[in-house]
Amino acid sequence: MSDQFATPVPDAATQLALDRIRQSEEAGHGSDMAGLGFNQVVVNMGPQHPSTHGVLRLVVTLDGEMVRDVIPVIGYLHRCKEKLAEKRTYFQYIPIVDRTEYVASMNCEWGYVMTVEKLAGIEPTRRAEFIRVIAAELNRIASHLVAVGTFVADLAPLGTAMVFYMFRDREIILDLLESLSGARMMFNYFRFGGVRYDLPDGWVEQCRDFLDRFPKMVDEYEALVKTNAIFLQRTMGKGVITRQDVADYAITGPNARASGVATDLRRTRPYSVYPELDFNVCLAEHGDVFDRYQVRIDEMRESAKIVRQCLDMLPRGPVQVGSLRPPYVITPPPGSAYTAQENPRGEYGTYIVADGSRYPYRLKYRDPCFINLQIFPKLLRGNKIADAVAISGSMDLVLGGIDR
Amino acid sequence: MGLRDNLPPAIAGRLKYPKLEHFQQPNVITTTADFIFSWARSHSVFPFTYGLACCAIEMLSSGFARFDVARYGMEVFRPTPRQCDLMIVAGTCNEKMAPVLKRLYDQMAEPKWVISMGACATSGGPFYDGYNVVNGVDKVVPVDVYIPGCPPRPEALFQGLLELQKVIQQMKFVPPKLEKAGAGEPGVETAPAAAVQPAAAAGER
Amino acid sequence: MPAEIGSVKVEIDELAARLAKLFDGELVDVSIQMPDTVIAHLDRSVLRDVARRLKQLPEIGYDSCNWIAGVDQLTHLESVYHLYSFATNTYLELHVQVPRDKATCPTVSDVWPSADWHERESWDMVGIKYEGHPDLRRILLKDDWIGHPLRKDYVDLVENHPNV
Repeated sequence: MSDQFATPVPDAATQLALDRIRQSEEAGHGSDMAGLGFNQVVVNMGPQHPSTHGVLRLVVTLDGEMVRDVIPVIGYLHRCKEKLAEKRTYFQYIPIVDRTEYVASMNCEWGYVMTVEKLAGIEPTRRAEFIRVIAAELNRIASHLVAVGTFVADLAPLGTAMVFYMFRDREIILDLLESLSGARMMFNYFRFGGVRYDLPDGWVEQCRDFLDRFPKMVDEYEALVKTNAIFLQRTMGKGVITRQDVADYAITGPNARASGVATDLRRTRPYSVYPELDFNVCLAEHGDVFDRYQVRIDEMRESAKIVRQCLDMLPRGPVQVGSLRPPYVITPPPGSAYTAQENPRGEYGTYIVADGSRYPYRLKYRDPCFINLQIFPKLLRGNKIADAVAISGSMDLVLGGIDR
Repeated sequence: MGLRDNLPPAIAGRLKYPKLEHFQQPNVITTTADFIFSWARSHSVFPFTYGLACCAIEMLSSGFARFDVARYGMEVFRPTPRQCDLMIVAGTCNEKMAPVLKRLYDQMAEPKWVISMGACATSGGPFYDGYNVVNGVDKVVPVDVYIPGCPPRPEALFQGLLELQKVIQQMKFVPPKLEKAGAGEPGVETAPAAAVQPAAAAGER
Repeated sequence: MPAEIGSVKVEIDELAARLAKLFDGELVDVSIQMPDTVIAHLDRSVLRDVARRLKQLPEIGYDSCNWIAGVDQLTHLESVYHLYSFATNTYLELHVQVPRDKATCPTVSDVWPSADWHERESWDMVGIKYEGHPDLRRILLKDDWIGHPLRKDYVDLVENHPNV
């Protein structure tokens, strides 16, 4: 039984917050304009919290309800993935990459498989490229449903209907992906040179049926919140990311597109068959919380458009290179490579250093959530604590990627 | 006070009210009380969502419309441990998180149960040889039900919840056969009778 | 303000030649990795100066730091910087060698704010100390962890595991 009546000893992050308070008081910032004096309190929005979407800890320095400073503490889900890469062969590592951003597993696998293919010089087959795009875009829709659903559920306690509708539709997508790959969440579907299974019989018709119904569903979700005055007041004008911030803090994905910067890797550094597909890059102007929500809703529609085009253009052929002896144990020549692909959260890249053996020498993730989280203290300063929940929900953080 | 004070003393002296201390072994009153209390406890468990990683998303899915955990009475997911009975540890526990896990477990009120959901919480899972990973939350808190899977489907989570309901329904006010251990103590003891019986049997011989 | 992405159209080999000329003597071994990465090696003494000048280059400035990785090549440590230029839509990969016994490297977190946490992670995992960093402490592991896990000679100590 832990000693719950002992005086708690502050750990490094809390001590840092307390030091900063002491420094600001010594520097003379001890009173506000009415001369009432600050009374700064350090509050721990601990690793277990209903609104932080995972085990993120925020050490918040509050003055009343205004946030003076935020120190994010991460590492509560650090699962040593970069070290495990050195103990697993390239092929054995694919299921572990799945669990990086567990809501968008197909995209994460694609980022890793693309880098290994570049190192080893393997070209995937054409049918596999289309199936990869279909799987990745369906997973993008599912990921945005989770992101927007939990974001709206945080703004109102779970009594909101929107998240129930979104998870209902997510189940339809997960059924499609399950019949494709065998699993509901961590798919283990991508292989070097293609994908593991071909489309089952009747899958294309089921997918088309879902896509026909999907735009009406998105309209339904929007109609639930877009005229809600409380939602609009809580989201408009809050947490603005400027264009200069996007460059300084290397923000990518919907968070950057909401500020008007057209950074979409499917257009700026196209990979796979995206040059042949016709879709729009969804942008918004202001960069506040509402714009990030709106960009994700628009992207769901665009992804549905992409999947429909791919289903129409799907060629015949094998789905994996080397159908008699698929590449299971590969030994890429020594060298290093970095490739990135457009995750639902931003630019997800993998940097692999190979030394000619069956195991990677060094694997480094460029994880979008880790990088997007750095701007958090800047966004929260001067806002109320309730806005912290709205802003963190709109940034769409997945701790599996932040902590790896 | 109450009825006993208003009765004439001749009658009051002969009335015997049953007390729990009088029960040396289970009888119809205690087993009926067991049945009612454990039925109530097992069918309205308040889970504590300790969703750490990927299994948390499956736990979340099991709470929503398609796999409805409300039909088992467990839809009241409370974010604070003070109001919960059941801690579902869903995800990998690592060295940084383990003290937090222990503290939250200590903050729950008795009676409390722990389900370890997923391969990571059971034994470390796919990350078993990581330097920072605790191989199973049963090194930190006592676990009642283990649910394997990576991630376990919501149906698997429900099977685990049904097993937990069976565990809860074994709680008794008066455990059977407490001859050597003295008078039956009030309060809920799930002391297995098997632990007491060999000593009793050895004493008899 | 970052420029429009891809507004300056430059071929990758011409860009590599231009960078080699601009930073003659400081950027050595300038090479290209298709499709759009320029790789160069750098000495840690000129790192800060080159970083500042790279950011302020007219037209083709590298205004965003994508990631920083620490790599343990067995004879030495290496700090890899991956920079992105909005105008030319290309990457620049800088390799800085750091000796194992005195593993320090100047920080670039005042040039690119996004380098902050990457340098903390590199210190945490590989043990490269970045001089001048405002707050260099462990980011992913516990504060009292002993050792730097991503080194090849890392030994896992019992003191790191109170919970097993």
